[in-house]
Amino acid sequence: MKHARATLAVGAFAAVAALALTGCSAGGNASTDGPVTLKVWTGFTGGDRPGYATIVKDFEKAHPDIKVEMTVQPWDTIQQKLPSAWLTGQGPDVAAVSSDPNAVAQYVKTNSVMAITNTGSGDGKINTSEFAPGTVKEFTYDGKLYGVPANFATLSLYYNKKLFQDAGIANPPTTVQEMATDARKLTTGGKYGIALADNQTIQMWPVLQWLEGGDIVNGKNCSVLQTSDGQQSLKTWADLVAKDKVSPVGLTGAEADSLFSAGKAAMEINGPWAAPGYKSAGIDLGIVKVPVGVDGKSTTLGSIAPLSISAKTKYPEQAQEFLAYWTSKSAQQKFSLQTGFPPLRTDLSDDAKLKADPTVSVFASQVPDSRLYLPHVPSATKVDSDGYVPLIGEITRGKSIADATKSAGQTIDGLTGCSQ
Amino acid sequence: MTDQITGSAPPRTPRDGAPASGRTSGLEARPTRRRMRRFQPAWLFMAPSLLILGAFVVFPILRSLYYSFFDWTVGAVSQPFVGFGNYVQLFHDQQFWNALRITLEYTIVSVVLLVVLGFVAALLLQRDTLANRIVRSVFFFPTIVSLVTIGLVWKFLLDPDIGLVGGITTMLGLPSVAWLQSTSLALPTIIFVSVWKSIGFAMILFVAGLKGVPAERYEAAELDGANRWQTVWRITLPSIRPTMLFTSMILTIQSFQVFDLVYVMTGGGPVFHTDTLVNLLYRDGFVNYQTGYASAISWVLFVIIMLISLLQLRLFRYDDVD
Repeated sequence: MKHARATLAVGAFAAVAALALTGCSAGGNASTDGPVTLKVWTGFTGGDRPGYATIVKDFEKAHPDIKVEMTVQPWDTIQQKLPSAWLTGQGPDVAAVSSDPNAVAQYVKTNSVMAITNTGSGDGKINTSEFAPGTVKEFTYDGKLYGVPANFATLSLYYNKKLFQDAGIANPPTTVQEMATDARKLTTGGKYGIALADNQTIQMWPVLQWLEGGDIVNGKNCSVLQTSDGQQSLKTWADLVAKDKVSPVGLTGAEADSLFSAGKAAMEINGPWAAPGYKSAGIDLGIVKVPVGVDGKSTTLGSIAPLSISAKTKYPEQAQEFLAYWTSKSAQQKFSLQTGFPPLRTDLSDDAKLKADPTVSVFASQVPDSRLYLPHVPSATKVDSDGYVPLIGEITRGKSIADATKSAGQTIDGLTGCSQ
Repeated sequence: MTDQITGSAPPRTPRDGAPASGRTSGLEARPTRRRMRRFQPAWLFMAPSLLILGAFVVFPILRSLYYSFFDWTVGAVSQPFVGFGNYVQLFHDQQFWNALRITLEYTIVSVVLLVVLGFVAALLLQRDTLANRIVRSVFFFPTIVSLVTIGLVWKFLLDPDIGLVGGITTMLGLPSVAWLQSTSLALPTIIFVSVWKSIGFAMILFVAGLKGVPAERYEAAELDGANRWQTVWRITLPSIRPTMLFTSMILTIQSFQVFDLVYVMTGGGPVFHTDTLVNLLYRDGFVNYQTGYASAISWVLFVIIMLISLLQLRLFRYDDVD
């Protein structure tokens, strides 16, 4: 997943998921042109990977005239290869372009992706009206849809029950103030209260900021970090890290995960992909909703990887059919149960089977309260790498919040073209 | 060249290779033709390499120069020409100056350390005893391992909470240090790892250089009553000047291009404190897709490396080495 990006990027190429289709020779709806092969690239190398393989396998069973060749490789690799691959017409028909914020914009700008038109209700269509909040808007540019969510992850609070017990805390925190108090109390004997990653990671700091009543940019894409609300929202946790040392400074996502896996951190804000690893590491694991913010409301981060179709694909119809199947109710229900991810559709939120699953239910219950990181913000990747990540790095190392937010605000405004 | 071919003597050096010398006498036309015929198969043999070099090295290099004059984005509909705009922007880009400073620091410190330590190691291990051979192999071993692997292993070892180094220091009652998360320690740590990796390479080069020094010089020095230090200073060092030049140049070029270690160990962080030029180039080119800008960075890097290499050639006065 996003977490392991840096390490995975340099690691071995993920193997091709060779999903040989056997059986199902009854060609009920086989087209006269013979079977076509859709090439699909994704970066899902984490624990959720088998879930996507299942979707592909089931799709092939239901559509004997379409074969799907899914290649799984690290996100960095896709990021490097996809722009030129699509430009030269040699790329995949369908790809999960990146998990970075506003990643589709780049491909829309270069006319590399096709507008998706097969939307509507019922099977065989892409049921956009049922998608999780914000997802359709996030992938719509100039009124045209250029992607559908491949998944929709929310973040929850993972906690180590044993460490909580040792510290004499009976229940996991339900408010952000409690979370701060607990973090301080749990930081003892070489253990950290929380593992907070600030770079190469799924975004944890924005969640804290939202809970504390702040934000990064406003509706005009202008930085609000330097406002008094913005500064206030960073202060508590920056101080907790810099002064009370409740978390090591400068963790990457992978490092934060290792810390929690090793039982050296009592809490972590993370997505559903992390659960299998923590369970197999033998952590006495608890997963609860992210505590409510200072305003008493729930907020968490929603994270999507978009699936887009190449503008040069020879099979636009089949590719859209594939996306319709991928996002369909039945495929998503199965996927959620297999991976622990919340369904990307809202019409599954009351699904009895999903509600009965202790992991899925926590992540699924937060879908309505989730927010995206830098949605539709121009140059979002740069806002992240040049503005937000350095800001958190500075304030957790003791730099004054007023100074750090001021310069971060200027950087961000310069990047987004804010004109206020 | 005209006075080289005289009378009927066959040309001794085909290297001068000029087929048409303008001479008309039959005697001299023949060797010229023969040379032409010999010339062609050579090109044929070279063709595969030239093709590959041309297509995958020379062409992309020239192409990147071309890109650097455009606001080039892979696949964009329009690629506006900006002339030297990218270079001007670079000049005003704080991140570029930061990356340049860090790259220079990294290069100077690691090259000096590598040359000095490599030379000392070579001096101590130059004799071919069994023990020396084993130690030399051990030193050389990290050189053949990929930088990425080394970066990952060290990153894990140095993790303050679950790494071996932190474990040992804690056991000894010392605090566990966040080597790669600290803004002041991250760059020195990366330099340390790169020195650890390349010291064997520098040492092997110096051992080879030392073996090339004629024994008579040492004998003469000994007869003249030179002590150990004087011998090293007056005999050894001047004699291995070409090796010194080669080693420092190769290491300088490598160091300027450092990327793998940084990318794997810190990703340029914390807060840009290990953000080297190539790391910046990678980010602009492959994360932000500003191909033109990234190309401009690569050409500035090229010019810097070329200037420094020329300076090194000059400093070591390569031309008058005997």
